[in-house]
Amino acid sequence: MPSVLPGYAELHCLSNFTFLRGASHPEELVERAAALGYGALALTDGCSFAGVVRAHVAAKERGLKLIVGTEVKLEDGLKAVLLATDRRAYGALSTLITVGRRRGPKGGYTLARDDLERLAGTGALALLVPGGEPDAEQARWIAAHFPGRAWIAAELHCGPNDRARLAALRALAAGCGLPLLAAGDVHMHVRSRRRLQDALTAIRLGRPVAECGRELLPNAERHLRLRMRLAQLYPPELLAETLAVAARCTFSLDELRYEYPAELVPAGETPASWLGKLTGEGLRWRFPHGVPRKVAELVAHELALIGELRYEAFFLTVHDVVRFARSRAILCQGRGSAANSAVCYALGITEVDPGRMNLLFERFVSRERNEPPDIDVDFEHQRREEVIQYLYAKYGRERAALAATVICYRTRSAVRDLGKALGLSQEQVDGLAKSLSWWDGARALPGRLAEAGFDPASPVIARLSALLGELTGFPRHLSQHVGGFVIARGPLAELVPIENAAMPERTVIQWDKDDLEALGLLKVDVLALGMLSAIRRALELVAARRGRPFTVADVPQEDPAVYEMIQHADTVGVFQIESRAQMSMLPRLKPANFYDLVIEVAIVRPGPIQGGMVHPYLRRRQGIDPVSYPSEAVRAVLERTLGVPIFQEQVMQLAVVAAGFTPGEADQLRRSMAAWRRKGGLERFEARLVRGMLERGYSREFAEAIYRQILGFGEYGFPESHSASFALLVYVSAWLKRHEPAAFCAALLNSQPMGFYAPAQLVQDARRHGVEVRPAEVAASAWDCTLEDCREGEPAVRLGLRMVGGLSEAAGERIAAARAVRPFESVQDLARRAALERRDLKCLAGAGALASLAGHRHHAHWAAAGVERGAALLAAARSAEAAPVLAPPSEGEDIVADYASLGLTLGRHPLALLRPRLRRLRLACAEELRTLPHGRAARTAGLVTCRQRPDTASGVIFVTLEDETGCVNVIVWRDLVERQRRELLGARLLGVQGVIEREGEVVHLVARRLTDHSALLGALAARSRDFH
Amino acid sequence: MALHLPQLPLEALLRGRALSEARGEPWAVIEGREVLACDAAARALGVRPGMALSAAWALAPRLRARPRDAGLEREALEAIAGWLCRFTPSVSLEPPQGVLAELRGSLRLFGGIGPLAAQLRAGLGEMGFTARLAAAPTARGAWWLALGSSEALLEERAQLERALAVLPVDALGCDPGSLALLADVGVACVGELMRLPRDGVARRFGQALLDALDQALGSAPEARACYRLPERFAARLELPAPVTQAESVLFAARRLLVQLEGFLAARHAGIRRFALRLRHRDARDGVIGIGLAAPAREAEHFTRLLRERLQAITLTEPVEAIALEAAALVPLPGASANLFRDARTEGEEWARLIERLEARLGGGTVQGLAVHPDHRPERASRRIAPLGGTQRAASAGPRPLWLLEPARRLREAGGAPQDGGPLELLAGPERIESGWWDGGEIARDYFIARSADAALLWVYRERGAAGGWYLHGIFA
Repeated sequence: MPSVLPGYAELHCLSNFTFLRGASHPEELVERAAALGYGALALTDGCSFAGVVRAHVAAKERGLKLIVGTEVKLEDGLKAVLLATDRRAYGALSTLITVGRRRGPKGGYTLARDDLERLAGTGALALLVPGGEPDAEQARWIAAHFPGRAWIAAELHCGPNDRARLAALRALAAGCGLPLLAAGDVHMHVRSRRRLQDALTAIRLGRPVAECGRELLPNAERHLRLRMRLAQLYPPELLAETLAVAARCTFSLDELRYEYPAELVPAGETPASWLGKLTGEGLRWRFPHGVPRKVAELVAHELALIGELRYEAFFLTVHDVVRFARSRAILCQGRGSAANSAVCYALGITEVDPGRMNLLFERFVSRERNEPPDIDVDFEHQRREEVIQYLYAKYGRERAALAATVICYRTRSAVRDLGKALGLSQEQVDGLAKSLSWWDGARALPGRLAEAGFDPASPVIARLSALLGELTGFPRHLSQHVGGFVIARGPLAELVPIENAAMPERTVIQWDKDDLEALGLLKVDVLALGMLSAIRRALELVAARRGRPFTVADVPQEDPAVYEMIQHADTVGVFQIESRAQMSMLPRLKPANFYDLVIEVAIVRPGPIQGGMVHPYLRRRQGIDPVSYPSEAVRAVLERTLGVPIFQEQVMQLAVVAAGFTPGEADQLRRSMAAWRRKGGLERFEARLVRGMLERGYSREFAEAIYRQILGFGEYGFPESHSASFALLVYVSAWLKRHEPAAFCAALLNSQPMGFYAPAQLVQDARRHGVEVRPAEVAASAWDCTLEDCREGEPAVRLGLRMVGGLSEAAGERIAAARAVRPFESVQDLARRAALERRDLKCLAGAGALASLAGHRHHAHWAAAGVERGAALLAAARSAEAAPVLAPPSEGEDIVADYASLGLTLGRHPLALLRPRLRRLRLACAEELRTLPHGRAARTAGLVTCRQRPDTASGVIFVTLEDETGCVNVIVWRDLVERQRRELLGARLLGVQGVIEREGEVVHLVARRLTDHSALLGALAARSRDFH
Repeated sequence: MALHLPQLPLEALLRGRALSEARGEPWAVIEGREVLACDAAARALGVRPGMALSAAWALAPRLRARPRDAGLEREALEAIAGWLCRFTPSVSLEPPQGVLAELRGSLRLFGGIGPLAAQLRAGLGEMGFTARLAAAPTARGAWWLALGSSEALLEERAQLERALAVLPVDALGCDPGSLALLADVGVACVGELMRLPRDGVARRFGQALLDALDQALGSAPEARACYRLPERFAARLELPAPVTQAESVLFAARRLLVQLEGFLAARHAGIRRFALRLRHRDARDGVIGIGLAAPAREAEHFTRLLRERLQAITLTEPVEAIALEAAALVPLPGASANLFRDARTEGEEWARLIERLEARLGGGTVQGLAVHPDHRPERASRRIAPLGGTQRAASAGPRPLWLLEPARRLREAGGAPQDGGPLELLAGPERIESGWWDGGEIARDYFIARSADAALLWVYRERGAAGGWYLHGIFA
């Protein structure tokens, strides 16, 4: 009977964002509080607002009133809960948290009484949480500094003597004239989280639970209790008081309004007029021979929409960042929903010509959805820091900070921490965690445990497994987002608390990107992209050779030769489409124009693959299946992708046109799609979606197929807008590879580490395409790889000293500078004039870069080791020492040394040396395999260059083997992975016996048996790269 | 004679492991995150020294890895040195993994170089070590041969020069930097190194290397510090997998007893008593003292005595380590005393009274008490050894001094507890829910109750399905 139950608002409640104390997600707390009929719930995490947005979103959904507050414990032991009544109080609390967090160590905070005194007059409320022995002095202090706004919290948890406790608190309250109210000090939403809460305590203390003793909570009473239970525990007036306090807290996070920085608009201009001017200038720059009508109309339309939604300042902010980057010759490109607009093209934020694409701006910036437009800007990875420093300098650290990334427990970290908490030894914990390979999820646990020698049925392991499910997904700490900047007009700390990041001099806000999005707050993503560095370098090399500027805009569009190369999957080094999965798709998809690339980028992704979109699309494209649409409305959405949804936007639009979702609902669907794998919750959309489609005359089959596709999309759906921006980089990099292979190769080498391939593969690919590659050599190399003239007119690549393992950039630059004065006479001369240490010389000798001065590697090392500096140097120069006769290294030794130092060799491939022995073992080479028909048995061996385990391919591992004739793509099915784990993971030279699987140009070898031939390699230093 | 102990990091930790337990479990000793040494079981799974631990885990998920214990290794090295002293007074350490002994003078006594080497190998085996032995006319020469695993037993200088010339340079035990440089310049064996110009070598590798070469060849003398035997014997041994069987303890103890015998032989002494200390999992020590009627030295004898004692004892807690101690050496030039004349009746010490009391009255009758931090009342105090330390802990709520173990079920009438009449609940409930992690989980509401005869009782109601009232304590 709810009517006779007293009303109650919980005013002291911690979520798991009070790390290692709270044992429930904010959402769980909100749902439980709503289910119990609480009048309100205050989320009061310890000096943190990190969980409030999640709680806010959940509370809105459940119709529960959420109060924003925080629990603070001062250095002198005073503990209080502070609640925000209005926007001003919220800002003051946010500032207080910022002060405490910035002053404290990473992950902690430090606050004193004078910090609380600063809350005077802000309207913040304070609940004193007395300690075990109520301290009258604390109560008097709170009463004095929060007049009319302070309470004493009576928190009864079935302790040794609740009655006496309540009496003592009453006396305390009476003594200082403060009212008393009931509170729960809630740590979990239901009592069954007690074990997890105990485990969290143990993790926090770094001890096994069994040794935590009285630091553990004595019972599970710190949960959201039934109102009936509360009525038994507390006098009615203490419960009623909670509602009175809740009524005074009217603040909602919805009141937060983002205010754009003001300085971007010069005096005398409005944001709208200024954006209009800049766009106009941009159009004249883009279209010197007159703006096409279509584009002009598009711009006018977009500007009107931007004006209506008042997003001008956002576009101006992004434009300012891009303008800065351009002024420093840092290549950048925007992507994201709003980036592919004509306005962004005019502002130089993106290079995707609106005439080339047919994207509707409204699809990305919608009137209905009250959310900011999304523009991510990628910058050259080696120079992004300059951009970040520019933003800090321009807006100051009070106004600009990075968004947070919430680092959550994953299976392995949870196993580690829980194992320790349950008293397993470090060694057992290591064993457990390590037995979970990089691809194992929680489901693999029982099997792995048995394998690691644990009995899954033993009590400890049963406890661990039970807690593992609960702990996985719990937030663990805040880290910095890769580049999401939040910039405000006023002090940012009044909007959201700021804390120190792990990186010195970096600060992060307490909210992540989902939180920001949920509140409609703007962020600018300043991201790093290696390919942009490579493209900028390649363009510079081309410009230098051609003797005139050469930019992305100068790359000819829609070159058939480029598409022909792509269709043959000749794409090592090309952005995005160089991965093995992409390469095996290219000959089937045969991209022939820019939009095909947009599709190619999006289709080879877990989303479309798991949603089962790939094969239907391929069959339709190859003309095997007819293209049909269930309705005209669906045709409008899916026509450009032949009736198969490939992009995230299409799924949302389908929900709108076919199932009658409002754009707002479709947006919720998108969010749920991103999260369902973690949280579930997509089921409620299923019924709605299917019913909506049935009502509109679609077949159940179609409706369910669409739902399945949505499930498959999950968090991996790729938006068309991103795809379009990426496709442009695909095209530009492919054009460079096709027409300027030497410049492209040098640029990729100079931008390492990046991409899918190691330098050895990039160099081999370039040489296969007829590019001459010359060794790193002190007599010729600069720090970077450079282009040199070659007889046939095509440039040759000269490896730079950057390829020499262990050599510092400063030393490399000194060598180039000293050589410019005059050529080196000897190793001694080199050491002296370039001021090189023995260590530098050793690196150079190891790389074979002293050949011109010292001869073969053995002599080079002898000479390098004999060099002395300073006074000893002069003495050494005078007394000529006897030169030893050292035998030259063998070819094999040279190759090994090349790999050890440079990571590649310009000599023969190591397997060429081993070929006679491999022949005797009846192992074929890659070239021979390429010609074998489908179904033929084959044996081969090669260096493992890559092991990959796509999330989409349940347990299958793809291995790439390389020999002197090319690469072999091997598929290892799950059962073989289990049986031959050791060979698979351990071998550097892997032998495979299997069966050829051929589809057109695409050839795979399906492994039946693996053999480790690494012993043949001796000390060969080729390393494989493992991709997750 | 040079002894190189390539498996010392592993053996120092594992030699206490009885062979019956050795099967199945692969073991490795790690340094940082890298495998330093591994046993045969691990090797069979593909684990190799130098491998990253993560790679080793991937190959052998059941691999048990222990960090290297340099202190234990040093102790083991000294144990070997001490034992070697029975053959010659000039023994020197070559840390971290070698021992050298000057045996020229002892050759005749022990039947020549071959038989002597066999005797060394056997003794080392009994102590749980494997060594590579090499003999040469120079100490450094022998050491290099042992490092180069040549195991040659040479007595002529000309033989030595030939043997050294073909030795790989990594047997020189020089620093990694020099070794890398030798590889870089393509010098693989000592002979090639000796052919390089001396001034060039000195500049690149230091004069020390040239000096060492001269010492090895005997063209320059080498002074070595002799190992000095300690005054008393003390040695310890970790048991890698805690054991509960007396036989396994004995196996491990025997390794130390062999060590003890060598030590005593070197000192020409015997002992009248020794003590074996057993460290249990809960960090308590148990001591087994053995007294002998007359001074003795033989490991066989000690082993027999120890076996008798161990058989009389039940090991309640697993043993994690053992230590053997012997002091009060007695000169014992000749043969040792008769096996069966040790006198257990010799004056017992007062401290053994408690042991004897316990033996008479049954185990666990003599105890001390200490508070223990745990919410569960029955675990809030803990029995400790008599005369154990004292500690304080913050008190929980009201707790009676007398606890009933186990708690006594109370009758109920109308849902209220009865104990010779209805109980009046004075205070409570104090709810205690704890202990899920060790199988002793409780969930109870405690009350202070007054019985009909005005006694103050501590009672609780079981939460959950079972329910029911219990009397748990009586306030004095």
